[in-house]
Amino acid sequence: MEAEAQYRSQVKAVWRATIIIGIVTVFEVSLALSHFFFFYEHPKLVINVFMTLATLLKAFYIIAEFMHLQYEKRTLIITLGLPLVFLTWLIVVMLVEGKFAFSLLH
Amino acid sequence: MAEEIIEQEQEQVAQHFSLPDTNNEEGGEHSFLGASFGKSMMWLFLLSDAFTFTGLLLGYGAIRVKSEWWPDPNLVFNSMPFLHGKDVPLGFVTIMTTILILSSVFIVRAVQEGHRMNRKGVAIWLIWGIIGGLAFLGCQAWEWSHLIHSGMRPFYNVYYAGADGQTLKLAAAEIANHPASPGPSMFAGSFFGITGFHGLHVTIGVILNTVALIQTLLGTYHKRGHYEMVEKFGLYWHFVDLVWVFVFLFFYLI
Repeated sequence: MEAEAQYRSQVKAVWRATIIIGIVTVFEVSLALSHFFFFYEHPKLVINVFMTLATLLKAFYIIAEFMHLQYEKRTLIITLGLPLVFLTWLIVVMLVEGKFAFSLLH
Repeated sequence: MAEEIIEQEQEQVAQHFSLPDTNNEEGGEHSFLGASFGKSMMWLFLLSDAFTFTGLLLGYGAIRVKSEWWPDPNLVFNSMPFLHGKDVPLGFVTIMTTILILSSVFIVRAVQEGHRMNRKGVAIWLIWGIIGGLAFLGCQAWEWSHLIHSGMRPFYNVYYAGADGQTLKLAAAEIANHPASPGPSMFAGSFFGITGFHGLHVTIGVILNTVALIQTLLGTYHKRGHYEMVEKFGLYWHFVDLVWVFVFLFFYLI
């Protein structure tokens, strides 16, 4: 009986994560389209930052809930999570610094 | 006699794959950080695959920030099947994203049914997941063929900058007069390269899920006593979904 209740709560958690990911995707696409249709003359930087944060939120739910990482031992979470955080930071740093370096070349 | 040997072997295999009840945090000889070796090694492979995709996306990002101009994805990815000539920015790729995320959810459901040893449930959800993966691949094939028909090649990009920086498309008849790409050629190269590499992963994932489905239907996992193989293939499938979330951001949204 306890296993059944646990199963039900797990199923519920997954559908909850699905709904959150769906809402965030709709939010992202509507941000991109609102820039395209209404604010085309303005720079897209702020919207890009918000869309990136939304994508990171989606990535968190996929890793934590779908890949079941949040229920694993904490050592495994840190072993896998820390490199992923560093990778994300690497992309951000390389784009910012790369833009600056290339601006010196031109 | 032969049956006894088979039984003994099955027992040995079951012992090999099963975990001890208690385990310390450090892992040691029994398992790696509390997860079975099969699952934790899949995790480590996925981590290394994440490095590969990060490298590809970094290369793409470097090319993009160094370019003076880049085509607007809203004007490039704006076509839909069955709606020829209609302008639907980002419509089709949103459908593709939804399909892939949903198929990922179906595989999670298969894993959960596996925990309760529900063979029929695992098979049904795996079938749904495979259908989702095939649908995604079909969508990608349609998008690729649409771009290739409009003249896009790995090193030839038909989208170029207008006088005010707006995105213009070279007409098909004009392509012969432009041997060099009129726009940044790596727009096409990085798109085909990265979505192609991701599509390869999706293809492998569909094959793995099909293997899991066949073995589920044959009862292999039921005899083994656990559905961990579905879980391991599931991890891979969710990773494919995870990568697509970033490809969607970098190629279509930004």
